[in-house]
Amino acid sequence: MSSATATHDGGSASAAGSSEAPNYLNHQKTIRSWLLTLDHKRIGVLYAVTLATVFLIAGLLAIAVRLELFMPGETIMSNDAYNQTFTMHGIMMVFLFIVPSIPAILGNFVLPMQLGAKDVAFPRLNLASWYVYMIGGALVVTALLVGSVDTGWTFYTPYSSSGSMSVLYMTLAIFIAGFSSIFTGINFIVTIHKMRAPGLTWNRLPLFVWGLYATSIVMVLATPVIGITMILLFLERLLQIGIFDPALGGDPILFQHFFWFYSHPAVYIMILPAFGIISELMTAFSRQRIFGYKAIALSSVAIALLGFLVWGHHMFVSGQSAISGIVFSLITYLIGIPSGIKIFNWVATMYKGSVWLQTPMLYALSFLFLFTIGGLTGIMVGVLAVDVHLHDTYYVVGHFHYVMMGGTVIALLGGMHYWWPKITGKMYNETLGKIGAILIFIGFNATFFPQLILGARGMPRRYATYVEEFTFLHQVSTISSLVLAAGLFLVLGYMVHSLFWGEKATSNPWGAATLEWTMATSPPDPHNFTRTPIVTRGPYDFHLADEVFGPRHVGDGAGDGATSEPALPRETEST
Amino acid sequence: MAQGHHIIPKKTLFSVFATLIGLTILTVITAKGIDFGVLEIPVALAIASTKAVLVLVFFMALKYDSRVNALTITVGVVFVGIFIIFTMLDTVFRGDLDNVSSITISQQEREEEALRAREPDAEQLRVAPGDFMDGDDDAPDDES
Amino acid sequence: MATQTQETQDVQAHGDGHGHHERLQHHFLSLDQQFGSAKLGMWLFLVTELLLFSGMFVAFAVYLQWYPEAFAVGAEALDWRMGLANTIVLLASSLTVALSIHFIQKGNTKAMITSLSATLGLAVVFLVIKYFEYTDKFANGIFPGEAFNPTGSYAFLDVPNAVQYFSIYYVMTGIHAVHVIVGMGLFAWLIYRALRNHFSPEWYTPVELGGLYWHFVDLIWIFLFPLLYLI
Repeated sequence: MSSATATHDGGSASAAGSSEAPNYLNHQKTIRSWLLTLDHKRIGVLYAVTLATVFLIAGLLAIAVRLELFMPGETIMSNDAYNQTFTMHGIMMVFLFIVPSIPAILGNFVLPMQLGAKDVAFPRLNLASWYVYMIGGALVVTALLVGSVDTGWTFYTPYSSSGSMSVLYMTLAIFIAGFSSIFTGINFIVTIHKMRAPGLTWNRLPLFVWGLYATSIVMVLATPVIGITMILLFLERLLQIGIFDPALGGDPILFQHFFWFYSHPAVYIMILPAFGIISELMTAFSRQRIFGYKAIALSSVAIALLGFLVWGHHMFVSGQSAISGIVFSLITYLIGIPSGIKIFNWVATMYKGSVWLQTPMLYALSFLFLFTIGGLTGIMVGVLAVDVHLHDTYYVVGHFHYVMMGGTVIALLGGMHYWWPKITGKMYNETLGKIGAILIFIGFNATFFPQLILGARGMPRRYATYVEEFTFLHQVSTISSLVLAAGLFLVLGYMVHSLFWGEKATSNPWGAATLEWTMATSPPDPHNFTRTPIVTRGPYDFHLADEVFGPRHVGDGAGDGATSEPALPRETEST
Repeated sequence: MAQGHHIIPKKTLFSVFATLIGLTILTVITAKGIDFGVLEIPVALAIASTKAVLVLVFFMALKYDSRVNALTITVGVVFVGIFIIFTMLDTVFRGDLDNVSSITISQQEREEEALRAREPDAEQLRVAPGDFMDGDDDAPDDES
Repeated sequence: MATQTQETQDVQAHGDGHGHHERLQHHFLSLDQQFGSAKLGMWLFLVTELLLFSGMFVAFAVYLQWYPEAFAVGAEALDWRMGLANTIVLLASSLTVALSIHFIQKGNTKAMITSLSATLGLAVVFLVIKYFEYTDKFANGIFPGEAFNPTGSYAFLDVPNAVQYFSIYYVMTGIHAVHVIVGMGLFAWLIYRALRNHFSPEWYTPVELGGLYWHFVDLIWIFLFPLLYLI
């Protein structure tokens, strides 16, 4: 409240002396000002640094897993160590990295700007979400150091409720980290409902906002269920309350229902904002209005809601009733419809557009390929009879890496490259960017496509060893994973390089038409905009951008790179 | 001050409270006094839901509030319903395939143990030649 | 400096004529927008609470359908009179919360403080009754989970799966009780702020949100009472 105002005012005053116009990065410089910031942009940066660290650790664990699988038998670690390694990789990647990734980094930074707002609705809750996340992360690291969690990231009972006590840390960590998701979700929904700039109607929202809206709905509805699941698992382990443990009359399959009621929708928490980013990239780099705006927007919400009706497809071989297996399988097919709508609309957006193959667009095109493979293999394992054979094989491992990494992480990378000039005010090296994108695309496919083949041939997941016949494909996968890692390190390298030696970015290097590009400087003012935006057009009406915001003002951040010449007024086309 | 600042009259609040108390007593009477058989739970839930709606509409002022808030809580209730219905779609029909049991493994074992304890020694029940052909080494000795 | 000017301009451009209230945060345009946002946020939070409790309701439904006899025996062991008393206590506390909002809307801070204090008192009564229920059960060996070993007048509970009933009972009422305790803290804080005259008919958001939270705690109990005590 009053303290928020005070912080910002103090900042503007202190920056008044510097030569540059104050922006959110330099208006306050102390570490304290970062740790106590209420600015959504700074919180986004805090999350970016934290999540990059988590991604690095979890990624190194993945490399360790791949190295162990380089040869059959024991290669670099014991079976027990292997079990703990893939468990930690899974837990950190799923709960600490992919679930928060896009909403927490790019959502926090971009959402209020795309809405023309000064901040999210609850800035203090926003900061709290980061601290809560840090506590959860600290507990995960504690569990990693003191104990031996080897349950896999799914914590299936009765193994988890009768094994090592360090499961207690882990359940607590996930319970706490869940609150961070909930806070973000509540914040985004309220922000989108209440904080839109004058004239920004629902039909004029950028599609990234729609993606975040759908994600936030899932966060709010699903995350509390993982909370109660973790409480019950905690009590089961601590007091043996007999709800999940069959030895005490409980039902372990009930645990799977609880777990997947969250964890399946969580998949959509991960992918829906990625859809949003891809929509932004496709339209910005095709220089064309998005094809089927409403279809893309509403299919996001449809996926969010349908995503709650399919969790049982993770349990086809668990012993759940056959009727529920059939129903869950059937509804799973339906998810293909809204996902397909999106793919077709993106392809149609490029059609007859003028495609500009900058690095973000390369990631967007990678996404199209990888997500299509991920989606189609998903439909295959959604088929009841097929899944009985493919369940718990590398086919499933390949499938979800294609969706999670090929979908979400690739989209995150695309989004980071796209908004990097806005976030940091610097341009990265475009040539290295393209090399990185191509390296990652090749490395990714060569890592995970062999896993699909391995799985179809019967290689079970979570095994530290395998039969001789699988050696070649495993080695291809392991070597390619190093290529993938090299690509990611290259990205990290030139991104960090650009922070110090990068070219200064203009306010709208891509000529995009959403508010964060047309109305704000790079990096933005502490209050985002120097004047309140008034929106009179859709988010992708490139031809209308200049007439609305007027020609470029020096230092005002206004103006629009979409067209170099002032466009003729075309009132009739503004919808 | 367009929304949310409607002042609910004291009279409304007190009459809602009186209704809630009435319904509470009603639910005790129906549960303890009248036997509805299988309908007992639905009746109790119906009364509880009525009370819940009264609290939501008047005490929590949804009647006078932005429709978005009512929609929010409605969506929440719908998803609780989905959670319960789809989970019970499994648990109610658990074991609808022959080789899957509706009871837990440990319970099966307990029941088997109880049956074994009650039954006469299986050895004594062998009568037909087929009973002796299951690869049991002792079988020929028994016969002789 | 520049920021201040900017904010003033915003309020003049988009506010509805009531100037810059001291409670208005910098990123909102009007108190109305701020109040509406806070309320929507609270409703979303209540939805998360609802989903949190839903897990226990699902467990209850599943085990009730599997072991109706054990659950009937379990419900038998609970004292429905205590449950009824607690239901009435919570309903009354909901009424006093609703009244406190009624009073602050009319500018009657004193009456609001009285209502809030009554709510706090009723919450204490609720917990005291709950305490007697719990201790009576614990004294007779009715614990959640493995320690479940009913003795004395509750020996009739020694049937299969009664332990599931009591595990669910303790988890549900336990988490509900945690919410009651949180609510008590909330009301103590609200009373403290009210005593310092922080609230006015223009700005009473914390009271409104605290009220919504408390009604929700009441709502959960409205379902717990018949399901646990009466069936």
